[in-house]
Amino acid sequence: MLITIRGLHRIYQVGSEQVHALNGVDLDIEPNEYVAIMGPSGSGKSTLMNIIGCLDTPTGGSYALKGQEIGQLSDDALARIRNQEIGFVFQTFNLLARADALHNVELPLVYAGVRHEERRRRAREAIELVGLTDRMKHKPNELSGGQRQRVAIARALVNRPSIILADEPTGNLDTATGEEIMTAFGNIWRQGNTVILVTHEADIARHAGRVVRMRDGKIESDTRQAKPPSAAAGQ
Amino acid sequence: MNLRESIGIALGALRANKLRSFLTLLGTIIGVMSVIAVLSFVEGLNRYVSQKLLNAGANVFWVDPYGFVTSQEQWEEVKNRPPITLDDADALRQGVPHAALVIAQADGQQTARYRNKEVKGVNVRGRSAGWELVDDYSLASGRLLTELDDQRSRLVCVLGAEIAEELFPGLDPIGKWVRLGAENYEVVGVMERKGKLLGQSQDRFAGIPVRTFQKYKRERGFFGITVKSVDQASLPIAEQEVRNVLRGRRHLGPRVPDNFGITESENVMQLYRTLTGGIFVVTIGVAAISLVVGGIVIMNIMLVSVTERTREIGIRKAMGARRRDVLTQFLVEATTLSLSGGLAGVAVGVGLALLAGAITPFPTAVSMPAVFLGITMSALIGVFFGSYPAWRAARLDPIEALRYE
Repeated sequence: MLITIRGLHRIYQVGSEQVHALNGVDLDIEPNEYVAIMGPSGSGKSTLMNIIGCLDTPTGGSYALKGQEIGQLSDDALARIRNQEIGFVFQTFNLLARADALHNVELPLVYAGVRHEERRRRAREAIELVGLTDRMKHKPNELSGGQRQRVAIARALVNRPSIILADEPTGNLDTATGEEIMTAFGNIWRQGNTVILVTHEADIARHAGRVVRMRDGKIESDTRQAKPPSAAAGQ
Repeated sequence: MNLRESIGIALGALRANKLRSFLTLLGTIIGVMSVIAVLSFVEGLNRYVSQKLLNAGANVFWVDPYGFVTSQEQWEEVKNRPPITLDDADALRQGVPHAALVIAQADGQQTARYRNKEVKGVNVRGRSAGWELVDDYSLASGRLLTELDDQRSRLVCVLGAEIAEELFPGLDPIGKWVRLGAENYEVVGVMERKGKLLGQSQDRFAGIPVRTFQKYKRERGFFGITVKSVDQASLPIAEQEVRNVLRGRRHLGPRVPDNFGITESENVMQLYRTLTGGIFVVTIGVAAISLVVGGIVIMNIMLVSVTERTREIGIRKAMGARRRDVLTQFLVEATTLSLSGGLAGVAVGVGLALLAGAITPFPTAVSMPAVFLGITMSALIGVFFGSYPAWRAARLDPIEALRYE
């Protein structure tokens, strides 16, 4: 099992009030699954994603990634896991504005301590994979939204993580570009990666092989789609 | 996280925001610049003064009625003392066994003339024979002043190189007669050129026998005596011997203080050290203040930078940057920033020192310890004042940082 989540709780203290963002979540994800986590805002899906991505730690329950319990790890150990195991793709791209595409893609390798030439080589490969070889030296503001998101995908892939974690990856894109990006995710999944997608759009979620619906900090439903995602990816 | 990456980011930020960087670094630049400029100036003076004092000869001291006067009150006390006479000098020659040379001397200013040429403001030096050894000149042509010239109060002179050139362009001055004030002197020698000292030529003089000076120009200067001891060890003995001789000649009782003064180059050195020590302290003070102010400005701009780049920090953390990676990045940035200021300050300071050396008579020598100090100080300031902003950046929560708009 890649991800094992049992009785997960996350309680926020907002003023004097306690907010139960996650209220007992159980979830297993196997390697090379393509999972969409859906739910309205406030359902706890972002909190769950943050915890899976090791950006946040639970206040109760357990989360094991590749058998390793995450809850008790130090900041630096979490950073290490984010670096090695997680590839993030964000709704707002979150690229470094002053760095060109190549350098953005290199970033996880910088923190992994990969040497300069090796970094360059692997970053180029990743950029090639998303078809942006000719845009390598461009800064984010010289790229279209779709191109930016593809740079972000290359960055997520470059350190060969266990999980690609995408938070509303098409939220800032038009429908056609969104479809393009979803195709890219389909390809990534087919190459053996585990993809976890957080979205509130059913259209996007239908690309995934499994849809987990959340409401009020709990999992409402967990369904495997009849239609294979490869077909849904609309090649 | 490698250093190159951090330095690259820092230099990129510097370039991207030239005016802001300049204003940020102004304090550091001024601080380092003033340290370099002033210390280079002091260093130049140091070298110059110690060189000159060494030239004036090791083991030399100076006897005159007044001693080393450093204030008006002191001058009021000593100004009516009896003069030193040439007989005193003769007595010292007899009565100071540890003296290698006793040179009586007096100085005046006069106009020198040869035919239709004249040179104003010539330093006329009345000197005992052998004076060139303590004044550090060597003969270029002709001969030196001799004992006999002195005893007979001959009207002979040796000329400084500059006077010789101005009065006798293209001519050999030896044997010519030059008018100094009211008398004509036969030029017997020309001295080797010595160059400038604090912008003053050292070659605009005419040396004449001290007795000749006494005979014709008595009113133009007071007599003093330079004594050169046999060696360094015998300097204090020679001083004591001089004191004994002069007190004896002046019939001073055991409790009466000296009514003459003995000055060693050490006294001059001490005054000089006090003066430059003052400059030094003031400069260090000014520099310290501007460096602290510069450091605070750097801290401020780094805090602004951390806030502006909250999202970037979030991104980096999401990509696996540890606290120490972020800490290092911002520390390196602050240090790169302040070090750039330091280097700019060194450049401007050295430039100022060299410029001052070129256009003013004051000698300057770039002080390498000062350059080193400036660079080190500016780097330390970056580390010190960069620590707090860097620490703030390092402990940002990645989720909040990523959400920051």
